[in-house]
Amino acid sequence: MNRFDLLNKIQNILKDNLVICNIGLPSQELYKINDQPNFFYMLGSMGLSSSIGLGLALSQNKHVISIDGDGSVLMNMNTLATIGNRAPSNYTLLIIDNGSYGSTGDQRTFTDEKTSLKDVALGAGCKNVVECSGEETVNELNKAIDDKDNSYVIISKINSGNVKIDPIPLHPITIRDRFRKFIGIVKYL
Amino acid sequence: MKISKKIIDNLKKSGVDFYLSVPCKLLANMIDILEKDKDVYYSAVPREEEGMGICAGAYLGNKFPCIMMQNTGIGNSVNAIVSLLQLYQMPVVFLISYRGTPGEPVGAQGGMAKITEDILQTLRIPMLHCSSEKELDKISTFSKHAKVVESPVAILCDFNLMKDDK
Repeated sequence: MNRFDLLNKIQNILKDNLVICNIGLPSQELYKINDQPNFFYMLGSMGLSSSIGLGLALSQNKHVISIDGDGSVLMNMNTLATIGNRAPSNYTLLIIDNGSYGSTGDQRTFTDEKTSLKDVALGAGCKNVVECSGEETVNELNKAIDDKDNSYVIISKINSGNVKIDPIPLHPITIRDRFRKFIGIVKYL
Repeated sequence: MKISKKIIDNLKKSGVDFYLSVPCKLLANMIDILEKDKDVYYSAVPREEEGMGICAGAYLGNKFPCIMMQNTGIGNSVNAIVSLLQLYQMPVVFLISYRGTPGEPVGAQGGMAKITEDILQTLRIPMLHCSSEKELDKISTFSKHAKVVESPVAILCDFNLMKDDK
């Protein structure tokens, strides 16, 4: 299973939640599979999906899923400590760990060598850290959303590999405003 | 404490209700005030760039965020400011302790101080430079301006303004 297969498998869960989606191919694939106004596509700022989702979860009550990648989490590992200490129960960090920098040509990341993001997250203070296969991810995501008392970090171990895909045609302000309209903040659209 | 209280009062008056900080001794009194304030959210964060991301999320969730940091933190955050906060036009207040300005005892702080305003200018971020107490009265209007122009704005507080705020 690669990232595109996994996003396909979890799309029905994603469409009912606020989703922050990582820059590059993850966002482009999600857009192609099933574009929704409650999906915030990152067009820049690699590494910050986890952090943007955390700020959003702290600011309103709907459940937030940050879709991140192993390369991006390695770039912003300090935020796992912030999540371990501050994440509210409406927050789930889904790390799609394919052991590679998919958007830049599938170069190997350190999770394909010695680094375990599960161990890093646990050491950073995250309590509910699950490492699972792509197939198990649907169940683990549902469990995380149903648990109203705890936040989760789910590390979904899948194969590398991408599908051929175009850049997202949406303007950043369109992404911003339709997302905030979904939450109920923007009234003018 | 008087200066710190005035700064926070002005930020709150403009609607800022979500605060993060990467600590600085010049921000210590403000952090104390915010930790006791039940009306606003406050947390420390390990790194400024990450704080920019959390502020972006807070804005999406209808908060008006502020990140407090040393001017060195701007250097850590340039890409996040440009390709997140500015790309999506998100209002965030940067409250910056301006280390390396006159009065600063640590020589090594001088390097970032020399280029801080150049960086902010290059990024086209509106600046309010506070070197005396009377300038703090401008904070509330300036902070509201971030929302009007949908942009990050930067408030720079000089070392000498903050150092005796016991």
